[in-house]
Amino acid sequence: MAEYQLTEAKLALVVDDSVMQCKVLSVLLKEEGYRVITANDGARSVAMYIKYQPDLVLMDINMPIMDGYQAARKIKELSEGNLAPLIFITSMDTDDAFIESIDAGGDGILVRPFSPEVFKAKIKSIQRISDLYLQVKKLQQVQQSDAELAEQLMSGVIESRNFALEKIGVVKKAAELFSGDIQLSALSPNGDVFVMLGDFTGHGLRSSIGAVPLAETFRTMTTKGFSIYEIIAQINHQLYHLLPADLFLAAAIASVSSHHSSVCIFNAGLPDVYIYDGQGNIKEKISSFHPPIGVLPQLLPDVTLQITSVSSTDRVVLISDGIVEARNEIGDMFGFERFEQATQAALLQGDISKGVMNTLEMFCQKTPQSDDISLIDIPCGGWRDYFREHNLLNTDKKEAIEQACIDNEPAWKWQLNITGSRLSSVNPIPMAMNQVNDIEGSGEHWQSLYTILTELFVNALDHGVLGLNSDLKNHQIGFVAYFNEREQRLKKLNSGYVDLVLSYHPFEQGGKVIIQVSDSGKGFDFLAVVKNQCVNDDAGYVVSGRGLGLVTQLCETLQYDIETSTVTATYVWEK
Amino acid sequence: MSVKKMISADKKNVSIIVENHFDFSLHQKFRDAYAECNNTGTVFSLELAKTTYMDSSALGMILLLKDHAEKVGGSVVIKKPNETVFKILEIAQFHRLMTIE
Repeated sequence: MAEYQLTEAKLALVVDDSVMQCKVLSVLLKEEGYRVITANDGARSVAMYIKYQPDLVLMDINMPIMDGYQAARKIKELSEGNLAPLIFITSMDTDDAFIESIDAGGDGILVRPFSPEVFKAKIKSIQRISDLYLQVKKLQQVQQSDAELAEQLMSGVIESRNFALEKIGVVKKAAELFSGDIQLSALSPNGDVFVMLGDFTGHGLRSSIGAVPLAETFRTMTTKGFSIYEIIAQINHQLYHLLPADLFLAAAIASVSSHHSSVCIFNAGLPDVYIYDGQGNIKEKISSFHPPIGVLPQLLPDVTLQITSVSSTDRVVLISDGIVEARNEIGDMFGFERFEQATQAALLQGDISKGVMNTLEMFCQKTPQSDDISLIDIPCGGWRDYFREHNLLNTDKKEAIEQACIDNEPAWKWQLNITGSRLSSVNPIPMAMNQVNDIEGSGEHWQSLYTILTELFVNALDHGVLGLNSDLKNHQIGFVAYFNEREQRLKKLNSGYVDLVLSYHPFEQGGKVIIQVSDSGKGFDFLAVVKNQCVNDDAGYVVSGRGLGLVTQLCETLQYDIETSTVTATYVWEK
Repeated sequence: MSVKKMISADKKNVSIIVENHFDFSLHQKFRDAYAECNNTGTVFSLELAKTTYMDSSALGMILLLKDHAEKVGGSVVIKKPNETVFKILEIAQFHRLMTIE
């Protein structure tokens, strides 16, 4: 809706101790369309100025009670940002008079005698400048209030919905009202924690424009169970189409899996990602290995995630270049060396983000910040406790109650058979979960189903179709080797299949899902695989005394038929 | 801060020389340096020997140049970046997008 402002005649204040002069100037001003008020001494002019807030002041210099200079100083003091132009009118044609007029805050001086035409021309020119100033100020105000509103909205959408902020240390210091840096965290249904630090080109509003779609995609895909690589590929695709060519996102994304004691990292244009051990030593630095997100239409095909084995006391630290490029008064940069030292010291004191920021502030003192500064510090362990405290992933053994009325026929059945090369490019789990959610509605209990499906599908693919030996996974280092081998075999895959069937039986309170996964493989030592999943669990949590794995724990029943290479699992949930 | 341009006699080679700071303030000048060069197959050489600093908006500007070069069926070659500037190009993995000499 446009705003219309009725333009009222402008108001001029004429100050002169001669009533005659006041009259002459008033007539000229009225001819120019002004309304006019007059004052005959300086003190009175100040009072009138306060009362009427005129658009223009004409000021004589020599007057009783308070002279023109004094009155002008008072008026300028009172008007602050509000520029009502003030013109001195005098017959003193000296340099001193001119200099003092300007010094007292006058915007111009007119020396008598002058013709009416010269007077009018002067008024016009001064009014033109003042109109321009008002216009700029108005635009600035509109811009400021728009920016504040947008900022509020954005931080609401983006930051307030981040996951586990009490466990993940986040520093965000914007150079302007808007930050071009963005920090996101979300929980995958399998218990992996996904964290992203992004740095859009430049800073300010222009650079944060891509933040909203980015945050939405990141969160939605994470909670739906897509893999970190699929999420990055999608975000890249999205930003490539959404943003102009010179706007892109340098980003590092880490997924921390306490289940596999490993961290996956993708670094696209950010400074090295650090992995620190519990003593503050650098275990690994992962340099950028891909152009920033949104530069290329697709991710480079030869690039894969960097996977590192970690222990529960390790920490992953992500930074944007704003930290290392921050300068002090004499222009020195904070640099990587100072950053690494500060991080080690801060880690030993127990709070990386706080400690590093203190050191950085001491270094920069009052030097104005020229780029957005961010840091994210993610612990690799302790997530199980966190999930338990917050009741997030219901991985505890349930005492399932046999329901009185169980239908023999399922309420619905869903089946997907994926073959050949599609097995390496399609993740069927989000599709399956979408079906379940679409038919039965969403709910916390589906997270366990997700875990079961993922584990069973991955087992069928890895050990069935790809024929990978599960012994490799026994050791932390072996896990990396295992994963690399898996990537190799997946790329070459052009035959085989995995068949997935879900049947749903509703109960009065809750329901039962029967999951059947079969594959084209020769069959594998199912029990050994399931046991391995237990070995790789968070140290200190022996999942159950019977030495059974995560899936067994979540399932009501679990059977494996080596002849047909088929696993049948039932998952029961109650309201 | 400045942008200079040299065009070969056959108009197939355009050298763009950026001195000192390469950042957003050069946006317009940088664009002007190549916008009119529409000859098919033009090679745009971006001479960075005298560039002391480059920020992410400069990377964005180089991408715009690359778009332009591809539109006219040409290419972009980045020449002689100093160590600091090379580091910035390396972090952004620009050697995967164009030639750096």
